[in-house]
Amino acid sequence: MLVREFMDRDLTSVGPECTLGEAVEVMNRHRLSGLPVVDEEGRLLGYISESDVIRAAMPGYVDHLKSLSFVPDVGQLFRRLRRLSREPVSSFMTREVVAFEEDDHDMQVALEMLRRGLKRAPVVREGKLVGVVSRADLLERIMLEGLEVDG
Amino acid sequence: MIVTVTLNPAVDEEYLVSNFRLGRWFRAEAINRSPGGKGINVSLMLKQLGYESIAMGFLGGFSGEYIREKLRRAGIITNFVHLREETRTNIFIVDRIGKVETGISEAGPYVDERSLNRFRRDYQRVLSMASMVLLAGSLPPGVPQDIYAELISMAKARGVMTFVETSGAPFKYALEAAPFFAKVDHRFMSELEGIYFTSLDNMIRILERIASMGVDYAVISYKGYGDVFLTPQGLFLAEIPVRELEGSSFGAGDALMAGMLLAFLERMPVEEAIRFAMACAWEDMRHIEKGISGRDAVEELVPRVSVERL
Repeated sequence: MLVREFMDRDLTSVGPECTLGEAVEVMNRHRLSGLPVVDEEGRLLGYISESDVIRAAMPGYVDHLKSLSFVPDVGQLFRRLRRLSREPVSSFMTREVVAFEEDDHDMQVALEMLRRGLKRAPVVREGKLVGVVSRADLLERIMLEGLEVDG
Repeated sequence: MIVTVTLNPAVDEEYLVSNFRLGRWFRAEAINRSPGGKGINVSLMLKQLGYESIAMGFLGGFSGEYIREKLRRAGIITNFVHLREETRTNIFIVDRIGKVETGISEAGPYVDERSLNRFRRDYQRVLSMASMVLLAGSLPPGVPQDIYAELISMAKARGVMTFVETSGAPFKYALEAAPFFAKVDHRFMSELEGIYFTSLDNMIRILERIASMGVDYAVISYKGYGDVFLTPQGLFLAEIPVRELEGSSFGAGDALMAGMLLAFLERMPVEEAIRFAMACAWEDMRHIEKGISGRDAVEELVPRVSVERL
């Protein structure tokens, strides 16, 4: 099965100059955990996720902690989040994005997504965003195919 | 790539009720629920004819999610701005025995300034992949009346062919931006600049006014089953041999637009394009379900459409 057969051809995305506050609003309204970041022609520049936003508001050492219960001051975190809401997405997005092409095979996508712990990944054609693949869609397709094979 | 813009989509609910009358209680014999709004209808019909398109506009709430999911399952590319308020529902009552159709539509959800600006940015980006754009339907509250004029100018600046179908003030503003193709939504419009859509002579006068504004192609429905077309090669009256309603005519106007877009994409000569678009509209009218049964079904009807030069 190829990516084109199970991808979601949705182009919801934000530009690099979009504020973190607005990006979070778009995520909420679309019920997405992250968004592709694209330029004016739709070329993929990066990916911004809820985790990127939280990480941006946390002090640097948090990445080294196993649990967030060690964060000393939640009030400080909230203040930082509010301040960050006007910052541009481009300062906090992931630039090294794992993206797939429409002709990639499901196996390849499944392995890559599992290895990197990804829930969603953009699909590009000549570097331009044409949709997304999600772990849930991939699982559904693989499992339904299994049911059909079993009769 | 064809882009369709539906600023005010709807869930269309068609109720089949025989001998429908006012002030009574009825049980529907059948219900058809489908994603609606002109641009969305056209995207679905283009798919039925074998063409890809990008559908854009505003969606909200459960109805919005229903529409998005249906478009997704149909394999249509989507890029909607989501709103907090709920997408509207349009109700149609089809009475096949009494041969009447009744429609009721909602105004739609309020579009806030931020969502509108988000749409403008998405639209600008999507234009970079487009060769044609269709702007169709009514405007939801909060959207300026001259939005289609603005969107037409943006598309023209990028060399994208523009098709518009709407009514009232948004239509008059749109004409000022001189779109490539204009269709009057006659359900909500009965006159243009004081000329009423009552006779063939009046239709011709209106179309000539539209042409003088720099519009290349235009169409207005005439009587029930004919249309008058303005083209750079002159005026044409096209008719289909339908005496009475076989199915439902609610999607016919959208089918005509889908046919026109396809005809321009395939560079059909003018008369052939008109014939093809009319056959699409006719095919849609032959069944209750909105939509086109496929290209073959349309091609079969094409020779039976009459086109006369005026």
